[in-house]
Amino acid sequence: MRKKRAGMGEAPYKKDNETFTYDGKKVTAYPAEKLFDMIKEDFGEDVEGEVKTFTAGVKKKKEYKEIWLKVKRERFHELVEWMSKIQVPHLAVASGRDAGEEIELIYHFSLFYGIRDSEVSLCVKVSLPKEDPVIDTITDILPGALITEREKQEMLGVKVKNIPDPRRVFTSDELPEGYYPWRNDNDPEVEKELVRDLSKEGL
Amino acid sequence: MAEKTFTVPIGPIHPALKEIESFILTVDGERVVNVELDLGYSHRGLEYIVTHRCNPIQAIYIAERICGICSTSHPYAYVQSMEHAAGITPPERAEIIRAIIGELERIHSHILWAGVAAHEIGFDTLLHWTWKIRENVLDVLEAITGNRINYAMFTIGGVRRDIDEKGIRQIRSSLQFYREVFDTFVATFIEDTTVKMRTRDVGILTREEAEKQVAVGPTARGSGVPKDVRYDKPYSAYADLDIYPIVPDEFTHEETKGDVYDRIVVRIFEVLQSVHILEDLCDLLESTPGPITYQQNLVVVLNQLKRAVGEGIGRHEAPRGEVFHYSMLNKREQPVVWKVRAPTYNNYASWIPMMKGTQIADIPIVIASIDPCLSCADRMTVVDERTGKSRVMTLQEMREMGWRKTKEIKRRVA
Amino acid sequence: MFPVAIEVLKQMIKRPFTNPYPAKYKPKVTLTEVVELVQKGKIKLNPPVEVPEGFRGRIAYNIEECIGCQLCIKVCPSRAIEFVPEVKKVKIYISRCTFCSQCNDICPKKCLSMSKEFELADYEKYGKSLIIGATEDYVKKVEKEKKTADKKE
Repeated sequence: MRKKRAGMGEAPYKKDNETFTYDGKKVTAYPAEKLFDMIKEDFGEDVEGEVKTFTAGVKKKKEYKEIWLKVKRERFHELVEWMSKIQVPHLAVASGRDAGEEIELIYHFSLFYGIRDSEVSLCVKVSLPKEDPVIDTITDILPGALITEREKQEMLGVKVKNIPDPRRVFTSDELPEGYYPWRNDNDPEVEKELVRDLSKEGL
Repeated sequence: MAEKTFTVPIGPIHPALKEIESFILTVDGERVVNVELDLGYSHRGLEYIVTHRCNPIQAIYIAERICGICSTSHPYAYVQSMEHAAGITPPERAEIIRAIIGELERIHSHILWAGVAAHEIGFDTLLHWTWKIRENVLDVLEAITGNRINYAMFTIGGVRRDIDEKGIRQIRSSLQFYREVFDTFVATFIEDTTVKMRTRDVGILTREEAEKQVAVGPTARGSGVPKDVRYDKPYSAYADLDIYPIVPDEFTHEETKGDVYDRIVVRIFEVLQSVHILEDLCDLLESTPGPITYQQNLVVVLNQLKRAVGEGIGRHEAPRGEVFHYSMLNKREQPVVWKVRAPTYNNYASWIPMMKGTQIADIPIVIASIDPCLSCADRMTVVDERTGKSRVMTLQEMREMGWRKTKEIKRRVA
Repeated sequence: MFPVAIEVLKQMIKRPFTNPYPAKYKPKVTLTEVVELVQKGKIKLNPPVEVPEGFRGRIAYNIEECIGCQLCIKVCPSRAIEFVPEVKKVKIYISRCTFCSQCNDICPKKCLSMSKEFELADYEKYGKSLIIGATEDYVKKVEKEKKTADKKE
């Protein structure tokens, strides 16, 4: 049942694991720059961003790349659909922050997983104005995105359109409406009541 | 079917979990027809604490205490994200030491899990035996880091303690021990007829479901998705090694089904994989002298982080799957944004397809099969919808149901 | 089942791994009497298992060396260290300490270190045994010394 040095060396998978279909053609994993150019070509002015390169390794140096994108929210859903045509994208998580006038969501996707050294991380930023923080759901493409979308609703006050389950996940039902823990513009009176610093209270 | 269904809520008290959760199961006789998850009972607001009160050095120890078993995985991802945000490159020796601690942790975590899984199916002899062999790696960790868990080894820009000749010798002798004991481990666990009958075709997660539910780690690999950050996108010293993700069909020589048994196979062979990785890492460490931090003076590091502007992501393949951290620095003492994504966060969703169609007696092992750090007692209420009567059923009772099932199988085997 | 049975049988002839610390059984007398008997040397206690070299136990603080720079306070993740401005020294709450030893690393005078002591139990969280450094007693002592020094002048 066991093999010599299991999990090390050449992967014993069939090579068809490593091909994807794009536009009806069979393709292999793209380098990050090519993927970025393809996105640029299809989305034009609506996306901007850069490719970051990092080096890893001690004796054998290897490079890995991340694509950081900023996309208009009208085309965000389309971008995820575009990615899912190549491979079911892996969504690590959606993070977000309060950037003053707007709320910035960052969806951390990755493509080409399952192939040695080829995975490309895509960090997709979407800015939403605070008066109208609405974004399309991606649960129709990735059902697993539900929890992270629900979390963004309760933590940042984002409205996710067509979300199948809009309830809260992590915060308690006692948390007042309109208070969003990750925002910076909360009412200080409400915050004072909700947040306790136990070490200052001598506990 | 509709008139004969029951609602079975499990939880929410679950002290052993990072996030206590509650399941609301709808059952038809013994079979689960629908599952609903209710999470967030132990949300500690760590992200809020760090972004409001802690500087990046303090946050390492907050990250370490997100999970007791993954107490290297979270700092690993966290320091990576901080280094990317501030543009710091750790020295080579530090990268190797980080990977060594990460792999030692994987060995102890997987063996711990194997014991929990054995307990859930009522095989307590195996629980005690696996936890006995787990002591060896914990002793090594204690010897080289000072603690059995919460090692406090990581810092931004390197590691805090070096592993000397003696430490490498200790690691090597521990690896020898695990290589010797591994055959027995396989024989008592994977090749055991009772374990196999009890876990085969239970809690199935198909490959398509695993991809769509964004499952990570052994949960995804058990379904045949060869997804492993160490292989897909090698970081630190992992780039020097030829690792490939373990999927079950290589060892079972059967078609990958994505059931509990496949996940057991993946985890147990990952122990062996970690042993091989550690052998290579020890050789690498011996041939790589050098400093262990990029900057000895912590005050300089703190000031640099305070001035830094940038954002970065850190990913590490923890025993339970990929740990993901996102940090952003913006000329402030505290990080501006810190987002932690533990592997169980992604694997929650895969419970739903796993549980549908299983029997109540199988629920404990299905819950345990994604390794959500589950160990302690749970309370559940069985509500009879027709009469409105309800009675409380403890997890113990449920486990006993599971144990009875194992006994039945044993009898049938004999 | 069979491979496990062999393992179980092997276990039966082995010595138990557990170290009966501090003793295998408590004698059938009250706890205070046990303490007395131990002090008299009538009961022998088992020593604990040796802790490894880099073990991080109760924090040790050399108060005379300390210059009051407050860097340890800055990096302590659990706010276990408090500054006492009267004497320009720090006070450490052991019960809050997480034993990360980060304060040891940052201390410019190296007056903080981790000892090998691990028996820290106390009835009170902020009991006397669990606060070290510039405690109230220490502050009083320093002030008294100051006064006597002033009088001499």
